[in-house]
Amino acid sequence: MSAGLAPGEIVLDKATRTFRIRRDRSRTLKELVVRRGFGATHASVQALREVSLRIAPGEAVGMVGRNGAGKSSTLACLAGIVPLDSGRAQCGGRVITLLELGAGFGPDFSGRENIFLNGALHGFGREQIEQRMDEIVAFSELGEFIDLPVKTYSSGMFLRLGFSIAAHLEADVMLIDEILAVGDESFQRKCFTRIAQRMEAGATLVLVSHDPGAIERVCRRVVVLDGGQVAFDGEVTEGLLHYHRLLGTEGGASRSSRPTGSGSALEVTELELLDADGRPRSAYRPGEALAVRMRLRARSEVVRAVAALEVRSELGELCFRTDTVIGTVEGEIEVSFEVPRLALLEGSYDVAVGAHTQDPPPGGLLDRLTRLVVSAAEGGEGIADLRGSWTVAGRRSHEEALR
Amino acid sequence: MLRYRYLFEQMVRRELRQKYKGSALGVLWYLINPLVLMGAYALVFSVLLRVADIPDYPLFLLVGLIVWVFFAQALLAAAPSLVQNAALVRKVRFPREAIPASVATVQMVTFLVMLAVATPVALAVRGTLEPELLLLVPVVALLFCFVLGLSLAVSVLHAHYRDVEPVLAAALLPWFFVTPIFLRVEELPGVADRDWLANLLQWANPIAPFVDAVRQVLYAGTAPGLGHLAYIAVAGVLALGGGILLFRRMGRDLAVML
Repeated sequence: MSAGLAPGEIVLDKATRTFRIRRDRSRTLKELVVRRGFGATHASVQALREVSLRIAPGEAVGMVGRNGAGKSSTLACLAGIVPLDSGRAQCGGRVITLLELGAGFGPDFSGRENIFLNGALHGFGREQIEQRMDEIVAFSELGEFIDLPVKTYSSGMFLRLGFSIAAHLEADVMLIDEILAVGDESFQRKCFTRIAQRMEAGATLVLVSHDPGAIERVCRRVVVLDGGQVAFDGEVTEGLLHYHRLLGTEGGASRSSRPTGSGSALEVTELELLDADGRPRSAYRPGEALAVRMRLRARSEVVRAVAALEVRSELGELCFRTDTVIGTVEGEIEVSFEVPRLALLEGSYDVAVGAHTQDPPPGGLLDRLTRLVVSAAEGGEGIADLRGSWTVAGRRSHEEALR
Repeated sequence: MLRYRYLFEQMVRRELRQKYKGSALGVLWYLINPLVLMGAYALVFSVLLRVADIPDYPLFLLVGLIVWVFFAQALLAAAPSLVQNAALVRKVRFPREAIPASVATVQMVTFLVMLAVATPVALAVRGTLEPELLLLVPVVALLFCFVLGLSLAVSVLHAHYRDVEPVLAAALLPWFFVTPIFLRVEELPGVADRDWLANLLQWANPIAPFVDAVRQVLYAGTAPGLGHLAYIAVAGVLALGGGILLFRRMGRDLAVML
């Protein structure tokens, strides 16, 4: 399997995989006989189109993309779970996959017995698992539950056990799909620390996630997949910006792959979030004032230029978008979007800006991305503060109502 | 492959646990089942119908029944095993053969327990101990190969065509009746002067020679003929080889289709 590859090295070479979609997931003999006669036709989806990637041992690569972009298929092919139609997908050394937590847990087995079973599924022997047993049990924080059947576990306990097993077996390659998003904050922090330790020890990580925050925390390199192809491969902030742009062009697959600064007439050279005192800052409390300041540069005179701004949640949902005509631009110009009272509630948001002539290039609306973190506040939950107030009929004030 | 020996052991343990969970008698149920069948058939064929004029008829029945029960239970459990473990197949990479193989092995363990109970009984009833008893080892090993091969085949076939299990369940009952479990083929009244029918029943049904061989060694204390032994050797090896090949061929895309 790992012929010619160093432990931890990952190679995808023109990996191609098509899935046929059937009306019904299962076939029956009758269907087989009947279909034969009519020459069955299936819809098919190309999950991977000649994907080529090379990942060096010890690298941490985040994989992002919209739903159906081929992230999970790539991981499944790398893990050797799904065979390729053509091309090559190989991982050097021992691979551990965390595609679904608790896959293969025996519900009647205790946590401890499931550690053995799960380790065995990944090809580890009894001694190797026994060596790690105490660490796994301690990390999982399961305490005495470790000797109870896992069917009595809560989903959080399931998650902790599953991650603990995967993170403590000495694998050269870790393939992780999405699952870090679950669990409480303190356990998540522990997971990230553990992953960092594993990588210091030389392990390679491929992390698929919808959560740019998680990717930014662990990965230095990002691969953006779209329509089964690599749309971007490179440095993490630029990669996440690219992903953000993709999200902004729902439906128009990979149209927005305009590389930054590739000769467009107008571009954003700087982007900053400034607080009320004019100091750059990225963390704010709800209700605070802030300004989004950008510096635009026109290569030649641009008439009827437009500046655009977009705010998305971590999951890529659009929270707010606006644009404005800024007139003629020549040389450099500074444009600000002033927010007197921040109406967003706790969370991380992507603020993306762009500038273009009135006929925007297809897809390439946004040029630069920054992260806005909003801290917790009292008085409401969700993403937006509606700034409303409560009244009760017949009572003049809230204080009176409380009396 | 050696790397996964420990996995296989763990899977067998998991199967055993799931099989006997929450039942007070646990593994005893699997001994009681053939004993109840033995009692019922002995009553019908020996006492009520009086067609079976065989010494120690209950023992004769029991030996045939445990072979059949092993065969039938293993196939019935193996057929849906891949589908039942779909979550595992989709999310983890490991040799998929381990799933039906562990299911068949669990049935094998039950079979060996029944054999361990039946053997001293047979020896006590017969009152002699012949060296032929040693033949039980290769015969049982070949029987296991045969059942394992078929288990691999039915599991992967069922993953492709979901009516394999119901077809199998329906076929096993008539199959049971044409297998020489109640009487030896030559003792069936209906085949007395029809040699072709006797040969058909004896050799066209691949499980029949296994039943007969185990019974000859255990019940009668005699060695099966060389031709007979050659037949089960070929059947065991062919079934296992064919099962492995079929599984490799049809099992490629299991993670996608389950």
